[in-house]
Amino acid sequence: MIKHHLAKLRLRHEISAAEEAGIYAALGEVRSFGPREIVVRAETLLTHSTLLLDGMMCRFKDLKSGERQIAELHIAGDFVDLHSFVLQRLDHEIMAIKRCQAVFVPHDRLRHLTETFPHLARVYWFSTALDAAIHREWVLSLGRRSALARLAALFCELRVRLEIVGMAERSGFVLPLNQMELAECMGLTTVHVNRTLRDLREASLLTFRNKRVEIHDLPGLEKIAEFDPFYLYPGRQPPLD
Amino acid sequence: MTRFHIHIHETLGFIADEEGAELADLATAARRAIEGVRSILAEDLLSGAIDLRGRVEITDGEGAVLQVMRFQDLVEVIQGPGDDQAPSR
Repeated sequence: MIKHHLAKLRLRHEISAAEEAGIYAALGEVRSFGPREIVVRAETLLTHSTLLLDGMMCRFKDLKSGERQIAELHIAGDFVDLHSFVLQRLDHEIMAIKRCQAVFVPHDRLRHLTETFPHLARVYWFSTALDAAIHREWVLSLGRRSALARLAALFCELRVRLEIVGMAERSGFVLPLNQMELAECMGLTTVHVNRTLRDLREASLLTFRNKRVEIHDLPGLEKIAEFDPFYLYPGRQPPLD
Repeated sequence: MTRFHIHIHETLGFIADEEGAELADLATAARRAIEGVRSILAEDLLSGAIDLRGRVEITDGEGAVLQVMRFQDLVEVIQGPGDDQAPSR
């Protein structure tokens, strides 16, 4: 059930059989969420964290006008709100982008898990630090990258993250975002997103159509984005023992 | 909710909105079209030049054209002598 999650943990750190069994024992209720369904409301007291099994979710914040900024996209195997274990109430909402399946991990079981396996506590700490690294990269994009580089950087990031869980190839991946959601990730209007997608296509770098990203020239795309995957820490890390 | 498509005709090419979006009404689509045109012109301005000869076209799901707006009608350009050339008192 949590193969994507384990694949991601094991890419970076050694996870023992006992630790794996501990994670399984901490899993609670499995729930489905429909497209655009709110998974976590901001400022609500939470007693569990949500581990995404299948589908895509996002963290976002809205202005009173309804203008929305998506701050991170979550893919299968991600804890979408591991930080709620310590924050308890989130400063942002979490929404399902498409039909999703997720499993709740009650906070009391997370406490037991991390006290039984202090190494896992550090591995999960690493995972929230990785979310922060992704947020910093998005700040760089939103603040400094051109529309073209910004979109290219997002596609490069998602390709690496999806490839880790076996859901992307060098040539592309499925991306269930509509143009409005893509615009909300990029801080752009939908018209601007459409024009930028046209520019990426005409430069023979990438085509995004019918929820599928076809990458025609990965080195070219990474060059436009100035993409350096270091911030995704996509390989074996020094041990956390 | 109705599906609207916002297509852009620039001097240098056509940007089709194949996907469209479900919006409350034509006025909402028009507002979004105006913001969209201004946002792409804003980026162009950073390179030092904007081309106001384009137009934006709003269609329904069947492709029927509901509204057309020219870029030049969506931006007010205020020109004339600058304040350094204003008559001195």
